[in-house]
Amino acid sequence: MNLGFTSTEWIFGTIILDRLNEIHGFQVVANNLGNFAMGAVLTLEITLFSLLIGMVLGLIAALGKMSNNQLIKFVAVAYIDFFRGTPLFVQILLLYFGIIPLIFDATPVQAAIIACGLNSGAYVAEIVRAGIQAVDKGQMEAARSLGMTHGQSMRYIILPQAFKIVIPPLINEFVMLLKDTSLVSAISAHELTHTGKMLYASTYQAVWVWGAVCVFYFIMTKAISMLGDWTERRLATE
Amino acid sequence: MKKFLSLLLIVMLAIGMLAVAGCGGNEEEPAQQEPAAEENTITKLVVGSETAYAPFEMVDEKTGDYIGFDMDIIKAIGEAMGAEVEIRSMEFTALIPALQNGQIDCAISAMSITDERAEVVDFSDSYFDAGLIIAVAADTEGIETMDDLKGKVLAAQIGTIGADACVAVQTEDPATEVKTYDHVGEAFMELQKGGADAVVNDMPVTAYYVKTEASDKVKMVGEVFQADDHYGMPVQKGDTETLTLLNEGLAKIKADGTYDAIYAEWFK
Amino acid sequence: MIVVKNLHKSFGKLEVLKGIDCHIDQKEVVCVIGPSGSGKSTFLRCINRLEEAQQGQVFLDGEEVTAPNADINRIRQEMGMVFQLFNLFPHKTTLENVTLGPIKIKGMSEEQAEDIAIKLLRKVGLGDKDHVFPAQLSGGQKQRVAIARALAMQPKVMLFDEPTSSLDPEMVGEVLEVMKDLAHEGMTMIVVTHEMGFAREVGHRVFFMDEGILMEEGTPSQIFDNPQNPRTQSFLSKVL
Ligand SMILES: Nc1ncnc2c1ncn2[C@@H]1O[C@H](COP(=O)(O)OP(=O)(O)O)[C@@H](O)[C@H]1O
Ligand SMILES: [Mg+2]
Repeated sequence: MNLGFTSTEWIFGTIILDRLNEIHGFQVVANNLGNFAMGAVLTLEITLFSLLIGMVLGLIAALGKMSNNQLIKFVAVAYIDFFRGTPLFVQILLLYFGIIPLIFDATPVQAAIIACGLNSGAYVAEIVRAGIQAVDKGQMEAARSLGMTHGQSMRYIILPQAFKIVIPPLINEFVMLLKDTSLVSAISAHELTHTGKMLYASTYQAVWVWGAVCVFYFIMTKAISMLGDWTERRLATE
Repeated sequence: MKKFLSLLLIVMLAIGMLAVAGCGGNEEEPAQQEPAAEENTITKLVVGSETAYAPFEMVDEKTGDYIGFDMDIIKAIGEAMGAEVEIRSMEFTALIPALQNGQIDCAISAMSITDERAEVVDFSDSYFDAGLIIAVAADTEGIETMDDLKGKVLAAQIGTIGADACVAVQTEDPATEVKTYDHVGEAFMELQKGGADAVVNDMPVTAYYVKTEASDKVKMVGEVFQADDHYGMPVQKGDTETLTLLNEGLAKIKADGTYDAIYAEWFK
Repeated sequence: MIVVKNLHKSFGKLEVLKGIDCHIDQKEVVCVIGPSGSGKSTFLRCINRLEEAQQGQVFLDGEEVTAPNADINRIRQEMGMVFQLFNLFPHKTTLENVTLGPIKIKGMSEEQAEDIAIKLLRKVGLGDKDHVFPAQLSGGQKQRVAIARALAMQPKVMLFDEPTSSLDPEMVGEVLEVMKDLAHEGMTMIVVTHEMGFAREVGHRVFFMDEGILMEEGTPSQIFDNPQNPRTQSFLSKVL
């Protein structure tokens, strides 16, 4: 399995590998690559589902915050303010140990997705609201002057334009969210950081274990931002 | 793709080098600085502890001071040996790395002396004999021994021998689920909200928790097991000076009755 | 056809319309002139209720537009509006800009809407630009698409708010040409404009507005050749 290295590079690489194998921490990481990968997959799953919830809630909350109905507006603002104004870590603990058990029996992963989704929704709401407000005011007027309802104008004119504007901040939120999911290790969701904690507690190889965890996070966040750049470029040419 | 792989390799290597450098530094420093056999020169002990493990270590709700059995013991040792004691509160899993990095001189944190730990740190003489106990919800029947835990949902604190025991059960029966938390309090919360069937943890701590927090909701079942579980104070590997101080101090307070008085205060 | 009674509009403490009364007949072309800030745009926008007047009434064919229970979305379909800054939908092609209203609002089939749209685009001289996005059009072309978009709703009245003011001079003519054709076909039009030549040639009546008041109205020759109000005289002496 030549990965495209020249033979000199390859020999050099094997020598380095031999040297590394003598280091305990390297062995710890190498022997647990599967565990790290499993943790990373769960991290990605939690992030994706949270983001999905967050986008739906965020859109609803953004429209709610801009609504003329005072009750809807109040609920939306309260939701956004609470989840942006308190630490995610505390929200996770409160939801998992306090509020969700009153409603149903959630697994740590389900609770993690709910907590991160609710939190993300509040941030997405502000992103969407900024995106909507960044659309030229004349667009709404033109749509209304044709005879569209407010809802139709939003759906056919404003939101499609806001969508392009919010792609970069949404990708950013995606990356933040992925990093923030490390906090759900506190409720024993066996994602990447929890994998690290467990391994670290039994091996004390702080630099190697946490270094490896960082590399895994970095690969994921880098992949997301590359995906974001690609999407942006595609939308720009349209 | 090739570019990306080499980048990855470089990152890995950089981390590797850091690790090597870090280890190297640790090994050399004590060797160079250790003065030739001198009298007890230690005037100050920086002591790490995970201060969320009542009754061994906790925060006094009123004063904010660190209190508990361990805290009284280390203060008594410090007094007996003429060394000032400063407590640093940190995560349990951070204690041994902190010792290795020289951030603390020793730790006292209800830490069991195990072979794995003894490989990376040196332990003082044992100052407390504990053991593990199973705790379940008050209305749970049919769980008494470790065998009964197979296939159940177990909760424990990350890095404790209680967690090791849970993982051992899981190895025997993969249907067992193990939930681990940064603090034992969260494991007990999980038990109370029905997210776990049992908590496996050090007996004195579980006893104290049941007595003070949840006598009607949580009960201890079965016998104490792994009773050869002894708490010790870890120091950096090779740090004989601190080790001597701790052992001499411990002997002193055991001899003059201070230890017994402290024990009586917390466990009677 | 359009009747305006005692229309008052304030933005906060600033009173912008101080009681406008007028009526516009079917097939009539009315040009509104006056200094900048005199309330011309606000007057136009109160007619289709993009701005809500505080007091007064607007009627279209006897139906009160300003009634609280008026079906404003239906009424707006009958009043096309063309903006100074075009306000084309940038994420839609020229054709889609024109078909969107008929399809989404009137529920017209796509084929039928496209049929109408193509005819309208040809009419404004842009039959070959149907699959182009607005960003690729010149200002004059954009404004002609905007006119086609408004016409696609088959309105009874067209409201123009300075349709040529943001155009480069060489493009003004092509837009005015389209508007002139429209007038000759008998479209009822209210045109806020600074193009005095257009007002004189195409307008049936001219309104002079200043400080939120309709100061003077009359035929183009009355207003341009023989203004009565000193304000009209001083305004015209500056612009002509
Ligand atoms: N949305 C608004 N909020 C506050 N003031 C406004 C608004 N729109 C217009 N105005 C003010 O109302 C006055 C009339 O504006 P406008 O009708 O646009 O004048 P014109 O079109 O004749 O230039 C101006 O002083 C303008 O600043
Ligand atoms: Mg204006």
